[in-house]
Amino acid sequence: METNVLDWLETTAAACPDKPAFLDEDSAVTFADVRREARIIGTAAAKRRAGRKKPIAVMSGRNAHTPAVFLGAVYAGCCYAPMDGTMPVHRLNSILSTLDTDLMIVQRAFYDKAKTLDFSGTILIAEELLEGSEDAALLADCRARARELDPLYIIFTSGSTGTPKGVITAQHSLMCYIEDYAGVMGIAREDVLGNQSPLDYIAAVRDIYLPLRFGATTAIIPKELFMSPERLFEYMNDKGVTAVGWSVSALTVPAALGAFECSVPQHLRKVCFSGSVMPCSCLRQWQLALPEARFVNQYGPTEATASCTYYVVPGLVEDTDVLPIGKPYPHYEVFLLSERNEAVPDGEIGEICVKGPILALGYYNSREKTAESFLQNPLNHAYDERIYKTGDLGHFAPDGNLMFHGRKDRQVKHLGHRVELGEIDLAAAKVPGVEDCCALYDQAHEQIWLFYTGEGVTKRDIAVALRADLPGFMVPRKIEQLEAMPRLDNGKTNMRALAERITAAAKH
Amino acid sequence: MEQELMDILTDLRPDVDFETETALIDDHILESFDIVSLVAALNDAFDIEIGAKDLVPENFNSAKRLLAMVQRLQDED
Repeated sequence: METNVLDWLETTAAACPDKPAFLDEDSAVTFADVRREARIIGTAAAKRRAGRKKPIAVMSGRNAHTPAVFLGAVYAGCCYAPMDGTMPVHRLNSILSTLDTDLMIVQRAFYDKAKTLDFSGTILIAEELLEGSEDAALLADCRARARELDPLYIIFTSGSTGTPKGVITAQHSLMCYIEDYAGVMGIAREDVLGNQSPLDYIAAVRDIYLPLRFGATTAIIPKELFMSPERLFEYMNDKGVTAVGWSVSALTVPAALGAFECSVPQHLRKVCFSGSVMPCSCLRQWQLALPEARFVNQYGPTEATASCTYYVVPGLVEDTDVLPIGKPYPHYEVFLLSERNEAVPDGEIGEICVKGPILALGYYNSREKTAESFLQNPLNHAYDERIYKTGDLGHFAPDGNLMFHGRKDRQVKHLGHRVELGEIDLAAAKVPGVEDCCALYDQAHEQIWLFYTGEGVTKRDIAVALRADLPGFMVPRKIEQLEAMPRLDNGKTNMRALAERITAAAKH
Repeated sequence: MEQELMDILTDLRPDVDFETETALIDDHILESFDIVSLVAALNDAFDIEIGAKDLVPENFNSAKRLLAMVQRLQDED
């Protein structure tokens, strides 16, 4: 039984060395290339790591060579923590502070940015390392000490306290998910995967690891093509893309822009979408455009290795249908708990909880936050059994499919990204002159709103300040100044009154 | 018309200086979802139909290019 993703890479690189593993606009990286580059980078990293399994920060672009940089860290016996170099410096520093690491590997394009960060450790440039060579004995030593429950990667998500949380995923968890996903989607060596997600983001793990496992190829699709449907489909047809795992918004944007007027992605047969609720009016357009394709709705958080449940759409949907989030993948078990941590009667709504070998190892360097969400199964008094409480609400339909009912807190899914509205509140409250503020989400129009009070502070002041502090997708697109914040009797912000303002604005 | 366009743009993204930016798409300043909102707002305000063929970076990289596209689509009607 394989216990390390490097087993996958070594096997596939031996079976089809000259096949492209990763493609982007400019280059093709074969499996032999991935193996060679990762082993050289791994050698350099291992020399500096001296056997310690601490995380390695990686700042790398959205290109075909980046997976080899990640895997270099794995060859060194460490996990990697991908950082998006286009994020604000403040956020990158926060991530580095949590990681508490002394080693960073960057692609050359990010070296100048890396030097400006609060980081006193060693910064290695991937392109320079590749001028060196591998040390097979050193790598063998690292491999001999690697274990299946070692962390593979740490991926950061929005945290309501303003500090991003680093979700740690073990080798074994990732391998379970990849096998499960491939089984449901029918991924095989012939497939060409169209990558939409940034490579530092959880959804990209499929695009990185399915090629290693099955010898499939991943084509990285340039971000700007998603606003030019005709060029998007042209690119996909050119690369022969057969399968995608995209955020819902990546499918809704082309549909909203009239994508199917002139063309379709003609080779596409396997479509998985996740990240937020898919409007069936959009899904129907895709189904009509691609009548032979399989469509799968996937649900699940980063903390359960990107997933929990899946639903294979059985036929053409109607605009008003509501899609189930489905049934658990083979390595997952899903159940509901009441607010009192008790079992929920059949058919009633409860908090979605998940268990199985796909559970994350917790939040890095944050035992308290880990303990809040990962806990002993309250229904099991007989032995130790860890569960993760997702914070999502759901109910089981009579046919056993899970139905989604939104969040129990202020976390929202915005354009496929997980956003804690509380984190936006905190960032906006720091803008000089802002007295009070509250972020809300307009689900119907997929827009983040920010209401604020404070004299002399303009919308622009806030937007500019937030852009320096938060990732672009978290910056509210609608900012409105109020004379006074509406209050409840207990003094808390009246969010319902604010939500009514949003509804009223939409009717205008 | 130019002023109305600028109003739509600044309302969409108050943090962007649309007077000077000339690489709104190429520099990833506007994101795909901004484009969806923008297309809907422009269709509405100027009574045009921006089609899939018009959705290319050249038409969206600056306020000037946007204005040219809107005018062209109005003339085609």
